[in-house]
Amino acid sequence: MRSATRRLLAAALTALVLAAGASARLAAHHEILAKFDDSKRMTLKGVVTLIDWRNPHVHVFINVRQGAGQLANWAIELESPIDLQKSGWNRATLQPGDAISVEGWAARDGGRQMWGNSVALGATGRRVLNVTPRAPAPLVSARPTPRWPDKQPRLGALPGGTEGYWAYPSSTVLVENGANIPMDAWGLLKNIADAPKVAPMQPWALALYTARQRRFLRDDPMFLNCKPPGGPRQFQQSYGVQLVEDRERSRVFVLIGSGNNNYRIIYTDGRGHVGQIGGDDDNPLYYGRGVGTWDRDALVVDTRGFNEDFWFTNGGLPHTEQLRLVEKFTRTDFDTMKYDVTIEDPGAYTRPWSSSWTLRWVAGEEMPRHYCQDNRS
Amino acid sequence: MTVACACVLMTWPAAAQEGHPLKGSWLGTWTGNTTHDPDLILVLNWDGKAITGTINPGTDNLAIKNASLNPDGWVVHFEADAKDKSGRALTYVIDGKIENLHLPNRAVTGTWKNQKESGAFKMTRQ
Repeated sequence: MRSATRRLLAAALTALVLAAGASARLAAHHEILAKFDDSKRMTLKGVVTLIDWRNPHVHVFINVRQGAGQLANWAIELESPIDLQKSGWNRATLQPGDAISVEGWAARDGGRQMWGNSVALGATGRRVLNVTPRAPAPLVSARPTPRWPDKQPRLGALPGGTEGYWAYPSSTVLVENGANIPMDAWGLLKNIADAPKVAPMQPWALALYTARQRRFLRDDPMFLNCKPPGGPRQFQQSYGVQLVEDRERSRVFVLIGSGNNNYRIIYTDGRGHVGQIGGDDDNPLYYGRGVGTWDRDALVVDTRGFNEDFWFTNGGLPHTEQLRLVEKFTRTDFDTMKYDVTIEDPGAYTRPWSSSWTLRWVAGEEMPRHYCQDNRS
Repeated sequence: MTVACACVLMTWPAAAQEGHPLKGSWLGTWTGNTTHDPDLILVLNWDGKAITGTINPGTDNLAIKNASLNPDGWVVHFEADAKDKSGRALTYVIDGKIENLHLPNRAVTGTWKNQKESGAFKMTRQ
């Protein structure tokens, strides 16, 4: 049946579908340009041999006939299963034996790998990959901030109400407030000369940041080793966060939908930092030690005790164990969370600096479960 | 037992370190050194203003001084006061350059000298 269908489809035109690279990058869970060169566009036609439907990115392997008639197996890297499913395709969309046409970008290392911006059935030209940039549903009207009986704002879902989580950060890059610096969604500068404007870095930190940028962020430990997106980065990821208030135990859990899908605890029981930093066997930590207090309608979180094993921003800004974050969470209305962070790190920066963005409430959905551990052994 | 432990030490993967590039423990050799063991261990720290550390902690315990890192080329310099086997004061002057900056097990290679001798060194971050 499938071969008959394919014969029927073979009568149709082969079409190539050009997808916007920018939108693909917006959906990707890390910097695609670390591995692929968007200036080297290429098209491949071949037959599917394997579909590896796993995080962090789906891979489709195809046999491509080369000039002398030999077959070469190419790996086509695509978006994550979450993004592909949201765009309407699934693990059965392609099958081994399907002839496809792929358009995308060549690997920087010259290997037989390619980033697929578009995939079309070779026989028909029917587009089977069509990743559409995710965007929040338009707000019908501003709803008031939900509150607990004691009038404190709720940070998460209403009891008995629909599920939801926070996503769609208004900025996915950490830059000092007021700086307007062209960079892509993963913090890759359009112009490397702008590096000093991103944040007030010490000379070594600026040089390291610049070196990371020149390598297209390919050394990102979250990308390479599935390290947690600690610090402000957890609020700039593709798959959002949940804030779960455990008032009985006086803590807020931050459940992170990206990276290695772990969580962070913000203590709201009045404890201080004294005796914890350097005193706990667990310190220093990827998410630090967060202590929260309420300042009117804002949860203010003082976090210290970070380790240096991860990048705390998408663009590769360095930090040291002296990093201290003062974060302010303000649910300005039902659908909007304002996030303000002040970065103090005398080990890497010349002065404290701040950045701000908002997150949108995604109502009626469970947070996507993305595991970067997949496909890593 | 000593051999087995040394093997483990030599093959242990470098811990991730995305902060200051010199911070951490370093293991290597300095060739031509007849005053101190050819094996070289350094523990370096960065407090935001100065690089501090010790050469061969636990054995020679040489405190480094005048340490610097020039990020233009990732050029490393440090010095350390020591004594030779007769008790005469020596000052080591060590100059090198960070290689493979992006790797956890990055290396520093360069030269060392004191009033008596000189040579090359290489140390790799553990």
